[in-house]
Amino acid sequence: MRNGLSRVWTVASKELLDFIRDWRTLVALVLIPLLIFPLFFIALPIFLQGEMSELDYYSLNLEVQIAEGDEFPEQLIQPFIDNNLNYTIENLDDGLTNLSVSGPDAIRLREGTPHVILRLQQTNTNSSESWNYAILYDATSELSSEGNSRMKGIIFDWEQKIIGLTLAEVNLTKQEALDPIHWDGDVSNANVATSAQSAGFALSMFIPMIVAIWTATSAIQPSIDLTAGERERGTMEALLCTPANRVELLYGKWVAVGVVAGTSVLFQLAGLLFAVAFLIPSDIFGMPTLSIWSMASLLLSVLLFAVFVVAVELALAVRAHSVKEAGTVLGPIVIAFIVPAMFAQFVNLEGIEWWWFVAPIFNVCLAMREALLNITDLSHIALWLGSSLFYAFIAVTWAARQFQREDLVESIS
Amino acid sequence: MTRTLLSVREVSKNFGDVEALKTISLDLNKGDIVGLVGGNGAGKTTLLRLLCGLYKPSTGKVVFVDDGGVEHPIHKVRSNLGVVPEATGLYARLTAWENIRYHSRLNNIDDKQAWNRTLRLAQALEMEDDLQRQTRGFSRGMRQKTALLRALSHDPDILLLDEPTGGLDVTSARRVRDLVRKLGDEGRTVIYSTHQLNEAQQVCDRIVIIHNGTLRADGSPSNLMKLTNTDSLEDAFVELTQDESREVETPEPESKFQRFWSRLTTGRKQPPSGESPPSGGEVDA
Repeated sequence: MRNGLSRVWTVASKELLDFIRDWRTLVALVLIPLLIFPLFFIALPIFLQGEMSELDYYSLNLEVQIAEGDEFPEQLIQPFIDNNLNYTIENLDDGLTNLSVSGPDAIRLREGTPHVILRLQQTNTNSSESWNYAILYDATSELSSEGNSRMKGIIFDWEQKIIGLTLAEVNLTKQEALDPIHWDGDVSNANVATSAQSAGFALSMFIPMIVAIWTATSAIQPSIDLTAGERERGTMEALLCTPANRVELLYGKWVAVGVVAGTSVLFQLAGLLFAVAFLIPSDIFGMPTLSIWSMASLLLSVLLFAVFVVAVELALAVRAHSVKEAGTVLGPIVIAFIVPAMFAQFVNLEGIEWWWFVAPIFNVCLAMREALLNITDLSHIALWLGSSLFYAFIAVTWAARQFQREDLVESIS
Repeated sequence: MTRTLLSVREVSKNFGDVEALKTISLDLNKGDIVGLVGGNGAGKTTLLRLLCGLYKPSTGKVVFVDDGGVEHPIHKVRSNLGVVPEATGLYARLTAWENIRYHSRLNNIDDKQAWNRTLRLAQALEMEDDLQRQTRGFSRGMRQKTALLRALSHDPDILLLDEPTGGLDVTSARRVRDLVRKLGDEGRTVIYSTHQLNEAQQVCDRIVIIHNGTLRADGSPSNLMKLTNTDSLEDAFVELTQDESREVETPEPESKFQRFWSRLTTGRKQPPSGESPPSGGEVDA
């Protein structure tokens, strides 16, 4: 027993040393998971903001087409100047069935001359002033889209002013006319959930999915390297000649892959929490407060899931004769983990049927959700714990059988 | 008095329909240096893998006999074996010593003990300065020598060497041969698989010729030459293996669907193992 454990540790520590020596693996399984969420949630918005503000400096050509006999509304001149729009005024083609029909203007817009067209036609209503309008633009041109966006802002402001003037004629304010039933005070004060509870709720919507998906994906590369990779490089034969039995080799490799995948998931979660904490004020989104029971439940569910996933991936990878073949098999298999993990986010926990806690992958994701929400339902815990143990046992037994295969010694090299 | 250390009793090995080894019996004695000689596909590697317990015999058994005469299935006593496979099987990102230490630890050998032993043997092979280098940049010869040190680090009774001088320069090959002879003198049993008949003659006290999965001859080089009435081991080998040789590769287990798919995508039924490819096809040199 002691010898067995010592050999498992020898295999695991050698594999971990081998991983640490490979900087590419460290980048792929540690650095990228750590940076991926900060990149998406912090760097990408900053980058997009920068790109958008770059467009603000462009002076764009606007053509205003106004119906014959209508007077160009002078109050638009200043907003055009403020928004860097060089405008020209033309007559509107009177043959149009409605203002949205682009007609021959489409070609000019596609060529960028002008960037955007504003069509105006005054109408008679009870409002102080009333217009029909259309903004023509080319959505595939960045400058034309920018022109459209600026024009929409100008039209909105103009409309608000007209509404204000129309209401003033009958002695009404905008709030009186448009918001007769209104909220008193700060909306956020009405929510009795603490920031920690809100955090737990929000995180329960995506942490289980991230853990499930990332555990499955981050275990692929090490699983392949330690099995099919060893076969391909011809190191497996020498290893199988040692007194370590094949189950000890499997467990050693399992520990190594589990540590690498677990580290990868932890780094990704750390990156996610950092990004969320950076974006959302702490009074809205605090650190979730979990009971000891919930934390134990969360850790246990992740651990059992990792046992299951890593064993399945090692078993599939060791059947392959080459790294390429293993990659071809394991790539699509990940979908089998990802799809249930995604669907599990949308299962209603209120009045949930018991069998969800037995269904593979769903059970662990739902267990994680309940743990993050501090829900302690003993029947649910018994179901997911029992089923997860069963799946883990089946997966490990199957993996052990694969490691007993005689052809494991064969190498394509 | 000679003592049998490893006994191969009526062992045959089949891979599906392919009979890789046909009922072989062989006793390997303490201190023997046995040359395992045969052409490509003769069954040498299959026999070596049976000897180290990587393959289970289809019939018969391979047993290790301990000092008290008790027999043990070979896969239960692997710590008595040191193996150098043809592929050497070194981890490129580990140093030579780390590779050796990994195997010695799996053999439950203390690091200090393994280091002292490795250093002594490395000096004999003139590679003590390379023990702390990663094996990534090692030449074929360096890899062979590292694999040999790894196989010896736990002081095994039996050493199984698959082409141990393959790729080595003349001086290095001689050092390996000298080391093997020294190990034999120390009472260790060495099974030395090789294509090189001259080398087998120089190193081995006993030659086992395997051909087409059968044991064709077993005796000292001089006995084999006498038996065939020839002047050299090479002539004796040719005389004993005159029938057409086959090229049996160990077939990979294939699912029925994979067989069907191979047939569909190659456009023809695969020839059974051992059959020559059609004229115009490529033949391995």
